[in-house]
Amino acid sequence: MCVSVYVLCVCLCVFLHCVCVCVCVCVSVCVCVCVCVCVCVFRHLLELLRRTAVHGESNSVLIVGPRGSGKTMLLGCVLRELMSLKEAQKNVLLVELNGLLQTDDKIALKEITRQLHLENVVGDKVFGSFAENLAFLLEALKKGDKSSSRPVLFVLDEFDLFAHHKNQTLLYNLLDVSQSAQTPVAVLGLTCRLDVLELLEKRVKSRFSHRQIHLFSSLSFAQYLDVVRAQLSLPPDFPDPKFSDEWNHSVTKLCEDKTVEEILRRNFNGSKDFRSLHSLLFLAVSRVSVSHSTLREADLIEAWRLISVDSKANVLHGLSILELCLIIAMKHLNDTYDGEPFNFQMVHNEFKKFIQRKSHSIHKFEKPVVMKAFEHLLQLELVRPVDSGVCKVQREYQLMRLMLEHGQVMEALQKYPQCPTDVKQWALSAFG
Amino acid sequence: MSRYITRLRMRRTYKWNGRPVGEDRKLKRKYYESMSISVEGKTEDATVSSGQYILIEGDDDDNPFVAQLHKLYTDDSGKKKTAVVQWFVRMCEVPQNKRKLLGRDPHPQEIFFYQDRSCDNEVDGETILGAVQTAPATPRTPRHATPSIPSRSAPARKPGNVLEEARARLHVSSVPESLPCREQEFQDIYNFVESKVIDGTGGCMYISGVPGTGKTATVHEVVRSLQQSAEQDEIPHFHFIEINGMKMTDPHQAYVQILQKLTDQKATPDHAAALLEKRFSAPAPKKETTVLLVDELDLLWTRKQNVMYNLFDWPTRRNARLVVLTIANTMDLPERIMINRVASRLGLTRMSFQPYTFKQLQQIITSRLNRVKAFEEDALQLVSRKVAALSGDARRCLDICRRATEICEHSGSQKNGSGLVGMSHVMEALDEMFSSSYIAAIRCASVQEQLFLRAVIAEFRRLGLEEATFQQVFVQHQALCRVEGLQPVSVSEGLAVCQRLGSCRLLLLEGSRLDLFLRIRLNVSQDDVLYALKAD
Repeated sequence: MCVSVYVLCVCLCVFLHCVCVCVCVCVSVCVCVCVCVCVCVFRHLLELLRRTAVHGESNSVLIVGPRGSGKTMLLGCVLRELMSLKEAQKNVLLVELNGLLQTDDKIALKEITRQLHLENVVGDKVFGSFAENLAFLLEALKKGDKSSSRPVLFVLDEFDLFAHHKNQTLLYNLLDVSQSAQTPVAVLGLTCRLDVLELLEKRVKSRFSHRQIHLFSSLSFAQYLDVVRAQLSLPPDFPDPKFSDEWNHSVTKLCEDKTVEEILRRNFNGSKDFRSLHSLLFLAVSRVSVSHSTLREADLIEAWRLISVDSKANVLHGLSILELCLIIAMKHLNDTYDGEPFNFQMVHNEFKKFIQRKSHSIHKFEKPVVMKAFEHLLQLELVRPVDSGVCKVQREYQLMRLMLEHGQVMEALQKYPQCPTDVKQWALSAFG
Repeated sequence: MSRYITRLRMRRTYKWNGRPVGEDRKLKRKYYESMSISVEGKTEDATVSSGQYILIEGDDDDNPFVAQLHKLYTDDSGKKKTAVVQWFVRMCEVPQNKRKLLGRDPHPQEIFFYQDRSCDNEVDGETILGAVQTAPATPRTPRHATPSIPSRSAPARKPGNVLEEARARLHVSSVPESLPCREQEFQDIYNFVESKVIDGTGGCMYISGVPGTGKTATVHEVVRSLQQSAEQDEIPHFHFIEINGMKMTDPHQAYVQILQKLTDQKATPDHAAALLEKRFSAPAPKKETTVLLVDELDLLWTRKQNVMYNLFDWPTRRNARLVVLTIANTMDLPERIMINRVASRLGLTRMSFQPYTFKQLQQIITSRLNRVKAFEEDALQLVSRKVAALSGDARRCLDICRRATEICEHSGSQKNGSGLVGMSHVMEALDEMFSSSYIAAIRCASVQEQLFLRAVIAEFRRLGLEEATFQQVFVQHQALCRVEGLQPVSVSEGLAVCQRLGSCRLLLLEGSRLDLFLRIRLNVSQDDVLYALKAD
């Protein structure tokens, strides 16, 4: 069971001496279950849905796991497996809802009615008011029975958002149907909140069967490395076997490299999920080109650098010297006054102290110019007012806070192009 | 078709068919039933008769007028033929600004009834071109949609082995004929309703109890046995209706639903309320008693409490013959949310369903299984005791037993020996369905996430508070990274780790707009976190 990254090599024309290699990385995540998801979880869910489809037994289950742990993928695999069973294929009706799309019970109800193609739907339009739709759906489900009606699978993505709807009407009704002698239904909720059951009202909670499937990734680093190797390797049915052999060989060697392992370990330490891994590998693989057609450690290093860059680093990189000086002044104020909020006047005084005593290269700017620079920092949200509401105080005296951490400022100074030395020294001085 | 191409004009000859069917001496007219039209060059004659739809020559050769022929007559001389018609219009003849009134896209060949006195109903008979077939249009909007879910191709499979049979019986939906451990409650409600039905009076009853204690099931059982009595003519017939506060979108829909279930009429909430008011006030000696079950009463609460007021007021009318049974979860609902006049109309007939004890739960399961031997004695006891200690909810108990049978079947299929459901299976099921997963989540978290949790606890200890800002925790996090010998993380990575922990609610965070100053609280107790982290 492995997930492969398909690398398509289009049009390698040696004859015309023009080698166009378009490397398209499609991360097809829809293949079978990942190493991290236990087989027994897959079996459990499949068995549950099979019983609903074949025996007409109603059930409800919640799949809980952090973001990127494979909940939707697991469900997709299970549903595909289920639909391959002959008995289930023609019988099961599937309704897919998402808490982010159906933000209200009214919208959700219309969507359910539309997906089930009930009789009050013509084409894509659902007729009737909210009350009528609800009554119609409940009536339809009530008329069914275990042995003769087609079972309905309700998949509710972002289940916790449905619990915020008014009275939790939809959840109550779906779970009530799953516990009554009506049309057999299976209610499958997917969520990332561990405390989702606390969101449910007591009546809804009582009707829920408390079946939970937890998807926690208990991957070790060695297994993670194996997955990386499998992901980067080309599949055996690749059209050019010579190229694929070379590629796979280079990938194996790459994974044994110390620097690469260090980078992968840092990524693994950050988060174990595969989405972040794919972002990293994607950036690395997209650097493969005509001139170098194998993956090298430099690619991964660059990819890691892009991924792990601090979000404010670029912003700081583009500031003017004056603005940078203001930030250093604010940092000094933070250090002196232990993080208390400051105002523009204080920053200006600190800056003036620097100009008078230590600076040689910085021009003596007028106050309005400094104020303008300060306002630019405000716009960039590197500085934020303490109370965001309407303030009756003059602008220079409004209290502010610096949104930068010590390390971020220092790093920005290091990378700043042609930073004057006296500014750097000021930053590193006494309280630096 | 271009206007410049002239059509060959075919000569048409008109002849009356048969003898005149009527005569009007005053107007000097002779009425005929039908007329035949012979067109030059065509062998067959077209016939038009009264009642048929005909095409009449107009300005547009491609779209002749359509009409329904009513009468054909001729004057005294027999030369002038006149037809009395009912006009129909095509969509293209309808003025542009009126086309939207239809509300939908018309069929290209659709015609509409035309009622306008400006147009003469009598036309020259010799402008008739011939007969035309019409068919009623298929209705586009669903007027009489019937609610139904399609049926399966083959019936559902029946249970195969003992465990499957047990599972089918333990499903919450397979409610038995008579509920064990609710005999006393059944008797009380039965007596109440029976006496009201026999006397032909009305009344209210309030039933309360935590979820899963058999309230709705008991009431249904009472009604079922009363209906059986009524069929055997032991008591007068009555009409049973049921509404549920949660199955309505608005409390006022209660009127709509009651009206529909009583008289099959559809109405708006206000109109329905008025109709019901009239119905319950008007004297009608032969009226059947109505038994109304209102489930989840607390959701019918409105500001002015008029829905609840009406529901409890109508039974007090002399001619209403309405018995209202209300169900809710809290015992003191009338005192807490109802105003005085509503609570007093509800009355003092109250019944409280206690949560099940462990003996009762055991009895329930045993009676459900009913000689299907699938469980060991101790296993049943364990489940009953555990659930009774927690909530006394029968649904929970049944679901856990079902899960235990699944586990037993799965492990049995692996070991090739299906036995009874034992203690180990039940304990595994209890573990699954009762446990909180925080500790497992922390153990499976990544290294940085675990370090961040440690940093949070360290910062709480330092501050002596249960809350800290991200900046403070981040400083601790950096220190811990140095201690562990890991590379320090940037602020963005730290925020990402924090957000991941927040999204699964291991931490409670403020909005990320606050950046460095968002406040963090723990959603798990500190001891649990340390326990989970210690175990590695």
